[in-house]
This record gives sequence, structure tokens and C-alpha cells, in this order.
Amino acid sequence: MPGIDESLLEAMRLPGARGASVVDWISGLALGTVGDAPGGDPEATAAETAELARLATESGALAPGALAPAAGAPGGPSRKEPPVQDLIITTADSYHLLRFVTTTFDSTVFLHLWLDRADGNLALARIRLAELADRLVLG
Amino acid sequence: MIASALVPRTDEPASALLRTLAAQRASGAMSTESGIVYVASGHVVHVESAVTPDLGDLLTHSGALAPDGWWQAIDQAGRRCRVGRHLVDSGHLAAGALELCHLGALFDAAYFVLAHDGPVLRFRPGVAHWLGAVRSVPVDTVLRESRRRRELLHRIWPEPAIDLAPLARVPGDPVDLPARRRRTLAQVDGARTAAQIATALACRTFHTLVELRRLAAVGLVVPAGTAGTATATASAEPGPAPLPGTPDEPDTALLRRVLHALEAL
Repeated sequence: MPGIDESLLEAMRLPGARGASVVDWISGLALGTVGDAPGGDPEATAAETAELARLATESGALAPGALAPAAGAPGGPSRKEPPVQDLIITTADSYHLLRFVTTTFDSTVFLHLWLDRADGNLALARIRLAELADRLVLG
Repeated sequence: MIASALVPRTDEPASALLRTLAAQRASGAMSTESGIVYVASGHVVHVESAVTPDLGDLLTHSGALAPDGWWQAIDQAGRRCRVGRHLVDSGHLAAGALELCHLGALFDAAYFVLAHDGPVLRFRPGVAHWLGAVRSVPVDTVLRESRRRRELLHRIWPEPAIDLAPLARVPGDPVDLPARRRRTLAQVDGARTAAQIATALACRTFHTLVELRRLAAVGLVVPAGTAGTATATASAEPGPAPLPGTPDEPDTALLRRVLHALEAL
């Protein structure tokens, strides 16, 4: 069963992978990083991508499921799928793929894969990152 | 007999002793008034705090792990300090799930142990936690992250009273809130503190604090007893305000925000 490092190393085997990390989108903390980070600072990258991820998951316009109804919200912990599955950001020479990880316990993390645009295959990476996110927490 | 293993009370700030322990690649348990930090070979391997749910709470109260599975692992592997390993090997939990939950609990507790950086009460060399090795973190990372979290809370809403006081809802009609914030708000009842709300939700306390400070920033939550709040209402559901607030309530909230903004300059 893969742990954080094994999962990130596996993500790095995707064609064009430059860097991969697991980031908590509420605190902005990188729980694990492998490879490079844009700008060379994995912690700054984690904090900034976390803010993007948070805005996406809390966006009522993009993901109507993100907002709870005004009444009748149960008080228990979240056991639901996150309202957003992934985020794709395209720059001149790379892709950033952020995949939310679903857990039964309280965790607010996503996988971040930095992919070279010339060598990477975005469709393949998206499918593989979703599988990695599932295997990370389900084994 | 244990006394020989105890270092006399140092009164050194926790962060300073942690740096020393890291440099010496020490192993053992460092206690402060707010919790215990376990180090192995100079790395932080586990942290416990009275105001944060521990790994067992997070796993069992959320339903990620049956309580039987948790206690069985402690029975069978606790003495060998291999409970974490046992949970994975016995198929109760995926390795990644254990690591994510453990790191979540570690940084959560570390924030509260280091928040006020109180004096170290004692350090017990060689003492290991029964959870065993899951994932270790450099001392520097833990210290830096705790500082960053403090700054993050301050940026969201610079009112530390939110973190410790019983919290009350401000009567009014909340606009649409993200699901997590809504669940947190539903637990605010005029009596419970952030830590108690976190426990009720089986959520990490820091992450609950982030939601509560955001709720405070939009004027939906205040420390209980603050003028103009309805404290200890029976129901946390939105609806007609059970107690009449003071007529100038929205202005009070606005003035508080302005005051905080000015203080932050």
C-alpha cells in the first residue's frame, strides 16, 4: 500500500512530470513534496496553490454543491465527496493539476502535479492522478 | 527509579529546547503545560495536546476506523510502540490514510503546544510514543509551520479571544456559507469553545479555528458574553433570533472590524 512518498514518486513517473506534492488547502502546508517547484520554493507554492484550491472548493458559483443549504445542515463530520474534483491551470510552458483527495476522516488535502506542457499528457495525468489520490487513502 | 531519567525542570521555552534536541539528535518526550512533543533522532514524531483531537479520535469519530479496530491495535501493538504499523499491516487503514491523519494531528497539536511557547516542564530521554514511527518531521519545519499558522489566523481575523473563549452566534441571517463553515457554525451554541467544537465535529482544532475566525470576520460569531449576542441559545439552527439583540448590532459589528483593522496597522 502506497504512502505519501510512494504516491508522489509514482506521479513523478508520468511523462513530463516536474514536481509533485500533497498540500493541505486550509493551512497551506505541504505534507510531502518530490521533484521541483516553480520558483524553487515548495512551501510558497503550497501556500499559494492551497489558497486557489480553497477558493475553488468554497465557490458557490463554480460548484453549487460547495454551499450548504441555509437550514438543516447536519452537525457531523464530512463524509462527502469534495464539491470540486480537480483544478487545471495552464501556463505558457506547463500545466498544474490539483486533485482533491477524499477521506472519511478530517483531512483537507489535494495532490499537486506540475507537468511540462511539451512532454506531458494532460488527459493521462488527470486519470492517473485521480487513481493515485484514491489509492493513497484506500490502499 | 524513573527519577534518574528525568531532566530537571528547565524553564527554557519549548522552541529553544526543541532546537537543542534536534541538534543533539535526541529521542524522548518533552512536556509543556499545553502538551507533549515526542522526538526521535532529533525529528518530531508525534505531538499531543489537550485541546486537539488525537489520532484515535479523528479516525474513530469520523467512522474511518471502527473503535474495535483501534483498541485492538493498541492491545496488540501498544507495548511494542507499533500501533500505527499494526493498523496498516492488519488492513484496517491504508498507509497513506494513516500518514495524512497522523500529520494532520501532529501539526494541529504542535500549533497549540508552541502557540505560546511556554516553558518546558521536563524532558524524558528515551521515552517513545506507543503509536510508533509513522512519519517524522524536522523540528525546523514544525516551528516554522506553527509560526505560519499563527500569522494565517491573524490575517483572517485578528481576535485571539475566538480561540479560547466560549463562542456565541450573532443573531441574523447568514448568507450562503461553504459546507465546512456551515457545519462549524451549527456547533456554536454560546457555551462551547473552539476545541470542544472541533471534538464534536471530529475535526482538527486549528482547521476549526480557521473557520471560526472567518465566521467572526463576517460578524457571525463572537466570544460569548460580548454585548449584543444571544448566548446559550437552545438551537443553533438559523431562524428568528431567540433573544432580541441591541438595535445597533450591525453597527457594533462594523465598528469592531474597523477597530481591529486600525489596531492591525
